[in-house]
Amino acid sequence: MADADWLIEVDQLTRRFPRCEALGGISFRVRRGEIAALLGPNGSGKTTTLRILSGFLAPSSGRVRVAGCDLQTHPLDARRRIGYLPESAPLPLDMRVAEYLAFRGRLHGLRGRHLTVRLREVADRCGLGDVWRRRLGSLSRGFRQRTGLADCLLHEPDVLLLDEPLAGLDPAQVQAMQEWLIEAGRQGAVLFSTHVLSEVEPLCQQALILNAGRLAAADSPERIARASARLRAELFAPADRLAAALEALPGASDIRLQPIADGWTDVGFHSGPEELSGSLEDLAADHHWPIRSVRRESRTFAEAYLRLTSALPIVKNPPQRQAS
Amino acid sequence: MKAFLPLWKRELQAFFLTSIGPVVAAFFLLITGTHFWLLASRLAQGPADGGLTAAFFGSPVFWLAMLVASPLLTMRLFAEEYRSGTMESLMTAPVSETEVVLAKYAGACAAFLLLWLPTLSYPFVLELCGARLPPLDWGAMAAGYLGTALIGASFLALGLLCSLFARHQVVAAIASLTLLGLLLALGSVELPARLDSVRHLAPVLSVPLHMADFRSGIVDSRAVTLHLSATVLLLFTSIRILEARRLR
Repeated sequence: MADADWLIEVDQLTRRFPRCEALGGISFRVRRGEIAALLGPNGSGKTTTLRILSGFLAPSSGRVRVAGCDLQTHPLDARRRIGYLPESAPLPLDMRVAEYLAFRGRLHGLRGRHLTVRLREVADRCGLGDVWRRRLGSLSRGFRQRTGLADCLLHEPDVLLLDEPLAGLDPAQVQAMQEWLIEAGRQGAVLFSTHVLSEVEPLCQQALILNAGRLAAADSPERIARASARLRAELFAPADRLAAALEALPGASDIRLQPIADGWTDVGFHSGPEELSGSLEDLAADHHWPIRSVRRESRTFAEAYLRLTSALPIVKNPPQRQAS
Repeated sequence: MKAFLPLWKRELQAFFLTSIGPVVAAFFLLITGTHFWLLASRLAQGPADGGLTAAFFGSPVFWLAMLVASPLLTMRLFAEEYRSGTMESLMTAPVSETEVVLAKYAGACAAFLLLWLPTLSYPFVLELCGARLPPLDWGAMAAGYLGTALIGASFLALGLLCSLFARHQVVAAIASLTLLGLLLALGSVELPARLDSVRHLAPVLSVPLHMADFRSGIVDSRAVTLHLSATVLLLFTSIRILEARRLR
C-alpha cells in the first residue's frame, strides 16, 4: 500500500507526565477510508493519544505523521489536515453558532465566499439550521456536539479525531452520529475514542485497545474476537504432566486444567491468533495421550476486550490448577 | 500571521459580549467620571496648579483607574480558556503560540484604549461648561497620553502573564492587582536602609515618577525603553510558557 494511503501513522509513541507514564510506546496506522476506534478503560491513555495526535500535547518520544505531515517538524501543516473534537465539545458560550463557526473557519484560513459556502454546507450536514443564530450557551448537549462536529468538518480535513463523540447523546443522536461517522470515514480517516463496545463492530474497520498506556490489540474487531478464542480439549493424560507440556507450547496462555474421571483431563487455554489445535494434536501424539474431543470456544468482541483490558495480568502459568 | 486578525477580533468581541466587559466599562466610566467631576470642581475654584494635564494625570483617581483596568481586562484572556476547556480547540487549530499571545494582548490593548478614549473629550467638555481653563499645553497632554499608553502596555502584558498561570480569572486578577500595587508602591514608600540596593533602583522602576515626567511634557527615553522592554519581555515569556504547555 502506498504511503499516501496512511493518514495516521504513529510510531513508538510515549508520553510521560510528572507522576506517571501515560503512553508506553504505542504504534499503529489508520488508512484513508477507515474508521478506527480507540478503546480502553479510564486512564488507559485514550485522551492523551488523541491530544498528541491533534497537536495539543507534544509526545515525550516517538513519531506522529498526519496525512504525510510530521506533527513535530510541521505542526501547522499537520493541524490544517486535522479536525479535532475534544471530550465534551468545549465551546465559548457567549458566541452564537454562526459567529463561532465563522471564527473557526477564519482560523483555518477560509475567507469570503468559500467560507460562506462551507458554513452553509456544514450547517445543513450537521442539522444546525434551527439554532444558527442562537448562543452556544443556550444549546442542548446534542446541539453543542453537532456544533463541535461542524467545526471539525469546516476546513474539510483528511483526518478526524473525536474524543468520545457518542458520550451523553440520546439514542436518536447516537444513530445520527453513527451515520455521520460512516459518511466521514468514506472521505478520510476517522479515529474516535469510545466506551460503547456495541458501536465498534458495525462501525469500525480497526479497533485499537489500550490498557495502561500499552496497545493491547490493534486489528479489526472480528480478528480481535477470533484471536481471543479458547481451545478446549479432553485428553487421557495426567494433569501435572499435561500442564508442563502445555506450558512449553508456543502461543498457549491462560492454561486451565480440570481432571474429569477415569484419567481424563479437561484442558482449556488461550491460543491467540494461531491455530493451535494441530500443535495440540501433535503434542498428544508425541506423548501417546489419546484425545477425546477438541473444540474452539469463540468469544465476542466485548469478551475479548474485557480479557485484554483485565486488571489481572495475562500470565503463561495457569492461575489455578488441580493436579490429579 | 493569518490567524492574528480573527483572533484579535474575537478577543475584542469577547470583552464586550461577556458580562465582565460591560461591568469593567461601567466601573471605569464611574472612576473616570468621578475624576472628571473632581477636576471640574477644582477648576471652578480657579486655575489648577501645574495646569490641566498635571491635575488629570497626577490624581489618585487616575492611578486607581490604571490599577483596576489592567487586571480586569486581562484576567480572562487565558484563565477562562483553560477553565472552559476551549484552549484545547484553540491550540489544535493551525495557529502559533506567538499569534495567540499577540492577538489576545492586542485585544486587551484595544479595549484599554477604547476605555480611555472618552477622556480625550474632557478639555472640550470643561470648556463648554464654562470652566476657566488655563492655556492647554498640548505637548504635555500628548506626552501624558503616551505615558498612559506605555504604562498601560506593560501593565496589560503583566496581566496577560498572570492569566496564563491562573486557572480562574479571579485568581489572575488578584495576582495581577497585587503585583501592580507593589510596582506602584515602589518609589512612593520609604524603604528601610538595609534595602539600600533596592532603594537605588526604586526611582528607576517607580511608575508614578515616570508618569510625573510624562505629564510635565518630558518624554524620558529611559522610561519609554523600560516600559517597552518590560512589555516585550513579558510577552516573550508568555509565548515560551504557552509553548512549554504542550510538553507539560
